[in-house]
Amino acid sequence: MFSQVQVIWFLMRGHRLRYGSALGCLVLATIINFGIPLIGSATIDYAVAGKTLAPDTPVLLTLILHLFGGADHLRAHLWLAPVAMVLLAAFSGLFSYLKGWQAALASDGIARRLKDELYDHLNHLPARYHDRTDTGDLVQRCTSDVETTRQFLATQVMEIGNAIFLAGAALPLLLSLSVPMTLVSFALIGPIAIYAYFYFRSVKHVFKEVDEAEGALTAVIQENLTGIRVVRAFARQDFERAKFAVPNARYRDRSLRMLRLMSWYWSISDFVALTQIGLTLLVGAWWITQGTFSVGLLFAFISYLGIMLWPVRQMGRILTDLGKTTVALTRIREILAVARDSEPAVTPHLPGSSFTGRIAVRDLHFHHASATLPTDGRGALNGLSFDVHSGETLALLGPSGAGKSTLMHLLLRLYDYTQGSIQFDGHELSSLPRQWVRARIGVVMQEPFLFSKTLRDNLRLGGGDAPDPEIEAAARAACIHDTILTFKHGYNTLIGERGITLSGGQRQRVAIARAILKRPPLLILDDAMSAIDAETETLILNALKERRGRATTLVIAHRLSTLVHADRVLVLDHGRIIQTGTHAELSAQAGLYRRLWQIQTSLETDLQSELKAT
Amino acid sequence: MPAQFLQEDDFKARLDAGLWWRIFLRALHLKRYLIPLAIAAVIIAVCDAAFALVTRWVIDGVILQGSAAPFDRYIAVYLTLTVLLCAGIWLFIDMAGNISNRLAHDIRRDCFDRLQQLEFAFFDTRPVGWLITRLTSDCDRLARIISWGFLDIVWGLTFLFMIAVCLLIMNWKLGLIVIAIVPPLAVISRFFQKRMLLSAREIRKFNSQITAGYNESISGVRTTKTLVREAENLAEFRQLSAHMFGASVLNARQNALYYPIVTTLGSLAAGLALWRGGWLTLNDGLTLGTLVAFVNFAGMFFNPINSLAQKLTEMQGAQAAGERVMGLLATEPAIKDTPTVMARLAHDHSADPSLGQDGFPRKIDTIEFRHVAFHYESGPVVLHDLNLTVNAGETIALVGPSGGGKSTIVSLVCRFYEPVSGQILINGTDYRERSLAWLQSQLGIVLQTPHLFKGTIRENIRYGRLDATDAEVETAARLVNAHEFITQLEAGYDSPVGEGGNRLSTGQRQLLSFARALLANPQLFVMDEATSSIDTETEQLIQRGLETIFSGRISFVIAHRLSTIRRADRILVITQGRIEESGTHEELLLRRGHYYELYTSQFRREREEAVLEASAGETR
Repeated sequence: MFSQVQVIWFLMRGHRLRYGSALGCLVLATIINFGIPLIGSATIDYAVAGKTLAPDTPVLLTLILHLFGGADHLRAHLWLAPVAMVLLAAFSGLFSYLKGWQAALASDGIARRLKDELYDHLNHLPARYHDRTDTGDLVQRCTSDVETTRQFLATQVMEIGNAIFLAGAALPLLLSLSVPMTLVSFALIGPIAIYAYFYFRSVKHVFKEVDEAEGALTAVIQENLTGIRVVRAFARQDFERAKFAVPNARYRDRSLRMLRLMSWYWSISDFVALTQIGLTLLVGAWWITQGTFSVGLLFAFISYLGIMLWPVRQMGRILTDLGKTTVALTRIREILAVARDSEPAVTPHLPGSSFTGRIAVRDLHFHHASATLPTDGRGALNGLSFDVHSGETLALLGPSGAGKSTLMHLLLRLYDYTQGSIQFDGHELSSLPRQWVRARIGVVMQEPFLFSKTLRDNLRLGGGDAPDPEIEAAARAACIHDTILTFKHGYNTLIGERGITLSGGQRQRVAIARAILKRPPLLILDDAMSAIDAETETLILNALKERRGRATTLVIAHRLSTLVHADRVLVLDHGRIIQTGTHAELSAQAGLYRRLWQIQTSLETDLQSELKAT
Repeated sequence: MPAQFLQEDDFKARLDAGLWWRIFLRALHLKRYLIPLAIAAVIIAVCDAAFALVTRWVIDGVILQGSAAPFDRYIAVYLTLTVLLCAGIWLFIDMAGNISNRLAHDIRRDCFDRLQQLEFAFFDTRPVGWLITRLTSDCDRLARIISWGFLDIVWGLTFLFMIAVCLLIMNWKLGLIVIAIVPPLAVISRFFQKRMLLSAREIRKFNSQITAGYNESISGVRTTKTLVREAENLAEFRQLSAHMFGASVLNARQNALYYPIVTTLGSLAAGLALWRGGWLTLNDGLTLGTLVAFVNFAGMFFNPINSLAQKLTEMQGAQAAGERVMGLLATEPAIKDTPTVMARLAHDHSADPSLGQDGFPRKIDTIEFRHVAFHYESGPVVLHDLNLTVNAGETIALVGPSGGGKSTIVSLVCRFYEPVSGQILINGTDYRERSLAWLQSQLGIVLQTPHLFKGTIRENIRYGRLDATDAEVETAARLVNAHEFITQLEAGYDSPVGEGGNRLSTGQRQLLSFARALLANPQLFVMDEATSSIDTETEQLIQRGLETIFSGRISFVIAHRLSTIRRADRILVITQGRIEESGTHEELLLRRGHYYELYTSQFRREREEAVLEASAGETR
């Protein structure tokens, strides 16, 4: 409990003043609100019923009558009391409005800060972290868990403050009016609070069961709808109806059980609350007949009970919510506790922007450490050494799992190598800031990610504020310009969920244009043309050659048509270089490259023989 | 995804009473809950009002009679009222809960039922997530509004009526003064409720944008890193979260303003009562108890008016949901048996075993496409004047570029869609004259992404024929070469396949879907072959499984793999909705046309993959 309070206190940093002023307004609103029944009470007793002031008259009532110029004056000007009551209600309302506003500013401010923090943090967490986490779960934590926290901060924190204040302020006030009546009026308040607390604690699991039943129902609906083709294919509608009926009925019955529990809770707690009011009423009435109590005071006490009973009954719920909020906060803090990508402590000398694209790799080793990633050595690097010259086009060939993509990720500093060295223009990569490195590399992946923005904005992500002609030139080079013009809104076409869906090949070409626009000294194409036909591919590769000037290009490819464009080819297997050379050299050597090359020539002969055979 | 489906919560300015009445009619059969609910609502309203009267009675009693006042009767009446009220509360929560949950259950069941009948064209334009929302939260929301709304309306109106009657009977002049507060209260409540609903909708809108923002940033995190976009992305997100902040604070302020205003109005009424009532007590013999009762009643108006206004606004907010759900229930399936077919189905044809339940021959000898044209709802033409005859035992391979119309042909055969013009004939009879259920029970289908249901392997295979024995399930698995991998799993046939089959590889899933189709022993087999890479070993297993399935049936295969294409009796090259080339593998190769190109490029790709794969195995 204490640590929970500590966490929430920490969360409030920077907004504590707001909370303070909200609480202040709440206290003022409550105090003023308490004055209204007092005026009613004083008016009824002293102005209307004709009771006279006596030494045992409560101080507050004497004071109020004094403010109205005495009982006789009030009786002659009876309108004064209602005007005062309405004024007080309006003032109390004003403060309660200010309270709501301040509390919203504070709680929404905290929620907003949490969201921004989470967003920024997630963008800076290592790629490794994102490899093993589930997007849905992360989004859930960032949205619904933050919302649970916000609701608690907005309403429950204030409710708790209100309850504490009520207990602290109402009690002395009531005591000052009448000590014995206060004791009678509080007789059942304690039991109600305790009942509420234990009730909500014990039904927590029922709420959970309802949630689970709803989840199960949703899962069955989802399965049926995603598999609707299979259902129809086997004409299994009746079977599916029967399958659906079970969770549907279960959800109904669980919800009913929860409501039945609620009906018991509310009727019993109402019963106790009404008994309390009745007790006050009848005891007060009895005392009136004894001459020790007055109608006005009774009116006041019953009004106060009305104000106080509600928060007392809410206490149980607040405490359950505190539990939920703690769970939500723990889930949020788990994300924030993960360390961000580390940066070199000191960068003594940055090579400026003049990176020439010269890379030296020496004895490079890397193993995936995560438990969820392949552990059979796929994607590992076992001592890689090679050089890339400035302006060279180097192709990487090899079966899947050979380590080609891992190498790209290391160059981008998405992963950090464990052993060996990579040097950019003679600078050790691990000593260069990640963002500096990435700003100098243009990369296109096999399944490129495009943002749900317009095509123009997506292309601009590569080149800051590039002018339109430059964007179009890049799109032309990537052979996507003509396709874009066929869309109704051209470059302003929105893509993604709220816009149009591009085919795999179109997305690859947009991503290539995006990379071109970035004008990087180093361009990496990671199987980036797998969905583009060979003809277009040649066009793009030629355009790249013309445009790139001195840009170094690394190409991962499976197709021979890509490989022949490279100055040099590295053949990788099991994290090692097994062959290296130009197209001419490799096709003369026995090995993977030649076998690929031979397919082309053997294809025609094979077909001929197949036809002859028939 | 058409934009109108993304609009989740349109606020309807006009309340469509007819719509709500139609929804309410669905609750009418829950009479045994509705009537007690109405009774409970009236009991509570009467008790609520009676409490103020009891207070008056007690106060006047003790003032006039002093200690001679009938305290035993006070206690008895008060206790009776308390018990009645609490019983009413218990009853209304229970009854309203019953109505709400039972109604939601029934509407959901009917929606689900309707979805099982609707044709695929319906699902093409509606994302699964959208439909799920209709069946879950929309159903719950409507049922809640109907049950609790019914309660609130009955209670609120009775209570208002009771207060008014009590006030007018006690003192009609003073009563009228206090009742004058009702119209402004009602107007202000409606005004604020509407504003709050609108700003709450704004919050939901920004909230879904924020969710989308997180989703995008997490799935695109590598791209963000490589483009060094962290700072810009954060700046964009900050705008979103700032909008959300603004909307949320606005909503909170409206709430914070609304309650003080109505409570101040309540005090105004109480003040008026105190002022005029006090004067009347002093000068006109109004009792003190009546004065207190007036002040109390004046403060009570707010509750029923607030809940009536709230219910009305809620209905406006949920009207779009109501329209969607009722719209779904009212949608008639476009593909269904004609009245003639239903009449035939009503006949008993079981005397002749060679007849199907619709009275036509059970055995399918030919399927013929006659001048078939097709386009999807308001889309471009997909098939033009297609003519094709397939005989029993034939395997037809459909090849060609994506979007050419291959899948459409297959869907038409299965009658998932019907031709827009032209006919499809089975044994010379238009298939629209035959029973839909009969045709679809003759189908075996294997899709490109084989969908399995959560459950065990056995359950999934048995989906093909529900009454198959374990031995028959196993035989089917053996025939398609799935038995071996199944028995290697820890729990064998009882191994769970995971959600959508995600615990199995694509190849394994495909084998299971073969077994499932085989168990159904269909006359018509349809397959959309997956291109996704399957290793050579699985490929061979699948090919042998296919052989078993193809024999003796009419098969349509959208084929990508050379081995399947070559095995077909006839190959159709489909481009732009027409049959470009048709013939056997050899005939088409000799023609050196479209098929030749497709075949050689596919050939090269498969060979290249094989070389890379072999090399990976070699050095391992």
